[in-house]
Amino acid sequence: MSKERVSRRQFLSYTLTGVGGFMAAGMLMPMVRFAVDPVLKAEAGGDFIPTPKKMSEITKEPVRVDFKFKQKDAWYESEVTETAWVYKDDNGKIIALSPVCKHLGCTVNWNTDKEHPNQFFCPCHYGRYTKDGTNVPNTPPLAPLDVYPYKEKDGYLYLGKAKPRKEA
Amino acid sequence: MKWIPQDIETYLNAKEYVDTAVIPIYSISFEDEMKQSASASEFISLLTNQIERQFTGRLLLFPPFTYLKNENSEKVLNDLLTWEENIVKGDFKHIFYITSNIEWKAHEEKLGGALIWLPSLLLEQMSESQKVEMINSQVKQLLILFTQKWQE
Repeated sequence: MSKERVSRRQFLSYTLTGVGGFMAAGMLMPMVRFAVDPVLKAEAGGDFIPTPKKMSEITKEPVRVDFKFKQKDAWYESEVTETAWVYKDDNGKIIALSPVCKHLGCTVNWNTDKEHPNQFFCPCHYGRYTKDGTNVPNTPPLAPLDVYPYKEKDGYLYLGKAKPRKEA
Repeated sequence: MKWIPQDIETYLNAKEYVDTAVIPIYSISFEDEMKQSASASEFISLLTNQIERQFTGRLLLFPPFTYLKNENSEKVLNDLLTWEENIVKGDFKHIFYITSNIEWKAHEEKLGGALIWLPSLLLEQMSESQKVEMINSQVKQLLILFTQKWQE
């Protein structure tokens, strides 16, 4: 059994490297974190808002779903009601569309224009969208309706923040 | 569109699409009638805001026309007519006045715009969801009035 003797010099250099390493890491870590901050940000999973709509109740016919959340506006916190048109498409996928017309922001309705059934209709300037939310050419809107990301939780529909789609 | 800078900017860029002005009207009174005046104001502003939400792109919701209840009614009417004159000059084809004060009914003829009178509801006894439901059902009926006017 040969005992490796650690010399004083070696001992000191080990210790210094160790401590120095910790210090360097302590300084570098926050810097790296700053640099890659957006990557580390938690995916906005907490932003899904519960709606009173049961997943099992969603059919192929678009229905209005109102949901509420709190919004802070400068000093004033208010309860905002948002609406979505929700239905299942032919593949059984759930689609939640924002009712805000892409023209000037009126609220669009489903199937209210007798001449153009089964379309979303904006009463303000007669803008129209097909069932999947695509704007009908030659009507005022220039973009398809925004889409809400959704989640299922305890059998209820949860909606996120409506996202615009690419031009149709 | 509301009377806020962002909306007014949109309005200025899309003027040709916005041809309707909505003016809430309510009076201010004191003492015994103070509370009644406050609930009328709450009712009218909730209602007009909801209408604005539906028809954001076609109407501009003006700040309310307010006056003192005990003021001379001729003077109040003339003030409103001055508003109207200016609004018409501002290229609004349709004007809607929304009030819960019955006295305006007497002046309906003298106004160029359409006067919508609704009895005020006592909202303070209702829960938030009841309130919303109540206002929404009223608004639904008013929307028809608006679309009819546009089609004339």
